[in-house]
Amino acid sequence: MESATLTCWPSHMQPTKTIDSYRFVDGIAKKVLKRWAGLPGETQVPWTPLASPLSECTVALVSSAGIALKSDHPFDPDIERRDPWFADPSYRVLPRTVRTGDIQVCHLHINPAFTEQDLNSVLPIERLGELAEMGEIGAAAPSNYSYMGYTLRPERLLRESVPAMVRQLREEHVAIVMLIPV
Amino acid sequence: MCCWSVGLVQREIEAAGFSTISLSMMPELTASAAAPRIAAIEHPFGMTLGRPGDVAGQLEVLRATLRAMEELAQPSAVIHLPFEWTSTEKLALGPTEPPPIAKYLVSHPWAFSRFLNRTPPANTG
Repeated sequence: MESATLTCWPSHMQPTKTIDSYRFVDGIAKKVLKRWAGLPGETQVPWTPLASPLSECTVALVSSAGIALKSDHPFDPDIERRDPWFADPSYRVLPRTVRTGDIQVCHLHINPAFTEQDLNSVLPIERLGELAEMGEIGAAAPSNYSYMGYTLRPERLLRESVPAMVRQLREEHVAIVMLIPV
Repeated sequence: MCCWSVGLVQREIEAAGFSTISLSMMPELTASAAAPRIAAIEHPFGMTLGRPGDVAGQLEVLRATLRAMEELAQPSAVIHLPFEWTSTEKLALGPTEPPPIAKYLVSHPWAFSRFLNRTPPANTG
């Protein structure tokens, strides 16, 4: 993969680094993830050009960390415990006013402690609000989204949850969606 | 594993008419799902934006990712962000108990090739 050059960035921020995807993985997981990266998949890449400058865009965030409001219905980890190829395919809405103390994490493949200490480590809701206050983006969207990222059967996630997220993104006039795996 | 499903979800959202970017620790895996724009970062799992409490670091990563939106003008564009994870501290990145698939493969070792090839058995979910 070739890395792009960014004309708007200062020289000390120019990407001269090639990241090592496997620095924090070892053993069998490394073997599996390398294999998966090479499996054939979709080749048709969709493209929606950015229609406005960043400073005019409403931005929403999507996290695969399985984050739900404590006041909301939690994700169900027993679905994956019963069928280890699959996970709860639902999603949750996280308003831009959410703070770390308001959330619970359901993800059986990572240590959730960092997210529980600071939601912004994986879902930077407060940082996005700061960029909006500084005028660097147009607005932080009223709603952000989370789902459980481990699944080998993504069909229901893609067929049921993603279209529902898309409807709400449209209603809230979102231009940019940033997705964040864990 | 999240880096694959994020690419699949991203692809659908982009196709629905939104400009999308993922911040991925495994850009090759995310790209294999035909994700349109990727900012690659060498951060540990569970701390994609940075350490808990590192407000300045999280803000810089978020800002760099969103600025890349304005620069990445071609489908399948990938930028490798220059952030360095310098700590050599041993981090507990994994879950407290093995994930269900790991336990399953210990008792069903013949299913490993299914896992490796991402060909799960027929849908029961």
